[in-house]
Amino acid sequence: MLEVAGLSAGYQGNDVVHELSFHVDEGETVMIIGSNGAGKTTLFRAICGLLPSSSGQVTFMGTDISGLAAQRIVRLGIGFVPAERHLFPRMSVGEHLALGAYPHRPDPETMRVVLDLFPRLEERQRQLAGTMSGGEQQMLAVGRALMANPRLLVLDEPTTGLAPKLASEAYRALDVLRGQGLTILVAEQQVPLALAISDRGYVLENGVIGLDGTSEELAADPRVRAAYLGVT
Amino acid sequence: MTASILDGIVLGLQFGVLATGLTLVYGLGGVLNLAYGQMAVISAMVVLLAMDAGVSLLPAVGLGLLAGGLLGLLLDVTILRPVYRLQGEARVLLSLLLSLGVAFIVDGFLNWRFPLRGLSLRVGGEAVEILGVRMRTGSLVASGITLLVLAVLFYLFRYTRLGRAIRSVIENEEGARLVGIDPHHMLRIILVLSGVLAAIVAVTRSMVAPVNVRAGFSITVLALIVTVVGGLGSISGAFLAGLVLGIINSIAAAYIGTFLSLIILLVAAALTILIRPAGLLGVRE
Repeated sequence: MLEVAGLSAGYQGNDVVHELSFHVDEGETVMIIGSNGAGKTTLFRAICGLLPSSSGQVTFMGTDISGLAAQRIVRLGIGFVPAERHLFPRMSVGEHLALGAYPHRPDPETMRVVLDLFPRLEERQRQLAGTMSGGEQQMLAVGRALMANPRLLVLDEPTTGLAPKLASEAYRALDVLRGQGLTILVAEQQVPLALAISDRGYVLENGVIGLDGTSEELAADPRVRAAYLGVT
Repeated sequence: MTASILDGIVLGLQFGVLATGLTLVYGLGGVLNLAYGQMAVISAMVVLLAMDAGVSLLPAVGLGLLAGGLLGLLLDVTILRPVYRLQGEARVLLSLLLSLGVAFIVDGFLNWRFPLRGLSLRVGGEAVEILGVRMRTGSLVASGITLLVLAVLFYLFRYTRLGRAIRSVIENEEGARLVGIDPHHMLRIILVLSGVLAAIVAVTRSMVAPVNVRAGFSITVLALIVTVVGGLGSISGAFLAGLVLGIINSIAAAYIGTFLSLIILLVAAALTILIRPAGLLGVRE
């Protein structure tokens, strides 16, 4: 479904990620593991069109999307939830969900799915995003992305700034989406959580992929255990 | 005093519409348009020339609004193109310099071709008494139109998909792109809207007092003051500031003197910024 080939990208001519290649198949949940500064955010921003890539190709469902603007990539079916969330502080929950469906009218069925997934959002339809807690904002960011009925959901560190209990709640929601057949690509530092719901994973270190495999293989790998699972 | 306050409300509503046109363009695209007042004056001249040529009032006003909108579009496809390649502060500065250049050229041309001309629309006849004050019909019609424009703007931004999309770009441009909104497309729409608003202000103002061919810069300065006091990028702030400053201006003009009213407005603006740096309803960055 998503095919990344030899992708390099960075800021002001300095590449942060170097010739990355990986793929995500339909229905899969794939995680990108990496510590701070490994290049996860740069990679995702380049895939989703928020950052121009310096070389390489990104193909989504057979269409070459490298170089397309973010607003066009979204409409092709990639929903992106950045770590900073990029919500609209002075707009209400309801307005966010309506905007998620832009340029179309919100589809009532999709709205139902999103509100069932995050009942909290239904209670707070009129609340302004800027006044919500971190966990609620994360739910809203995911809900907004889902309103466009994406084929692929890309999440950059969905647990950033969340207390452990909320972080596991966020992953429970992702697991539900996965069960509904949504394809998911998630970057995470909190590896145990991501491992539990992923089919496969790639380990990103200093802008290159150091290791890849199924979640079981990665969980058993001594390097992953030492660096990301805190097991020696 | 009642008379001054009523006059102030009439003026303040116009200030609000005026500032909305400027604040939206700034809030949405980081573009400061110093040729804004000239857009209003050109629209007024279009109405004037159309009526000179025998066109009747309403179609002439329609042509003026059309001219305002086209001027906004013209800015978007000409001088703002290099501006769009820049980001942040550099973008504000370049837009400010280029639009100032446009303002000088337009001012020079208008003064040369139409010296001493001014648009003055006569609407209705008898004065009407309100709260014991005789108000001219022109003032009432102008305020009615302005209130209608306010209602349309409110509806647009609160209840339509387009309005929500525009607000989302002001709130967070990257977030807007992530829901599939093209920020530049929205900015173009807003530039056209701002031109139409400038034209509406020119037309409604001319029902109360003549809009002179030289009025461009003072209109821009007024719009800037109201925008800063209301908070850059805030529509409701622009209206609140417009009303407050309109009333202050009328009271100052009545009790102190017209020649000092602009200075008093500036002092009011400066005080607001000292107390609330983001403006009355602005957001802190």
